[in-house]
Amino acid sequence: MSTGPGLESLVDQTISVITNDGRNIVGILKGFDQATNIILDESHERVYSTKEGVQQLVLGLYIIRGDNISVVGELDEELDANLDLSKLRAHPLKPVIH
Amino acid sequence: MLPLSLLKTALGHPMLVELKNGETYNGHLVNCDTWMNIHLREVICTSKDGDRFWRMPECYIRGNTIKYLRVPDEVIDKVQEETNKSRSDRKPPGVGRGRGRGREDGSNTQSKGIGRGSNDNKVPGGGRGRGGHGGRGGGRGGGRGRGA
Amino acid sequence: MSGRKETALDLAKFVDKGVQVKLTGGRQVSGTLKGYDQLLNLVLDEAIEFLRDPDDPLKTTDQTRRLGLIVCRGTAVMLVSPTDGTDEIANPFIQPEGA
Repeated sequence: MSTGPGLESLVDQTISVITNDGRNIVGILKGFDQATNIILDESHERVYSTKEGVQQLVLGLYIIRGDNISVVGELDEELDANLDLSKLRAHPLKPVIH
Repeated sequence: MLPLSLLKTALGHPMLVELKNGETYNGHLVNCDTWMNIHLREVICTSKDGDRFWRMPECYIRGNTIKYLRVPDEVIDKVQEETNKSRSDRKPPGVGRGRGRGREDGSNTQSKGIGRGSNDNKVPGGGRGRGGHGGRGGGRGGGRGRGA
Repeated sequence: MSGRKETALDLAKFVDKGVQVKLTGGRQVSGTLKGYDQLLNLVLDEAIEFLRDPDDPLKTTDQTRRLGLIVCRGTAVMLVSPTDGTDEIANPFIQPEGA
């Protein structure tokens, strides 16, 4: 099956997902389908704020509907491990407007 | 692993479903189909802001209104078993019927579009303020909100 | 094939019973289910619509308006649940915070 430059190569890797409502969810990609519905295992949400460091919320096993996904990105675990999230400040993303 | 296989494996398990409008539904999955339509039993509905709650004996949710589903962690291990089993049950490769005649001239490269595509309206403007989803077990606590 | 393609819910058991329907766009109606089809088009009798907060159309209020006999277009149906047994409750998720 040809998925082209698809998500196949990212399976079992840690990925970062931006959803249409502006959330950033990080987890291990366990599967996906034609509609870009994805399975994320051991996932957590990173909540950005300008006032305090990044909060991480444990989410666990998630199925995210493709409709609701803006971006799927590979996560460089080494780079990520060197991030001090507690010092990171950022504006939260706005939701996608259709 | 396909998201819908995982969902099917989660039949009977409790789960949390968030809709595009921000409402969340906690209940046990009774049934689901290939469109991700789901049927939940013993449901607690939480409003978008996490300030109102309803109990309903069951509900049917159309797949395309779902934002995400939160499934118990152990379900993913069960999928593994099932796919392995169904794989060994499956016919050996090569027995299946062919994919039909090909076209030599290559003039008609467009496929016929078998996809059904959703003809439904999208919910405008997904939810912003997400209040407490009231986690199952220890998961997530009450109202977070994004404090814009 | 046909078994798998079937819809996840059999609405037959709701016929002549009260159902609550949420529609895309935020409208919410309830009524007696008189009929339906596989596309989830619904016929509701003595339907009422729950009016929404003009300041926040995503919130419904307790005000209603009578619609009578209506057809809900299946493509707009988001959620169907029985009215019977559906009640607003206090926060059931209260648990010791930070414990």
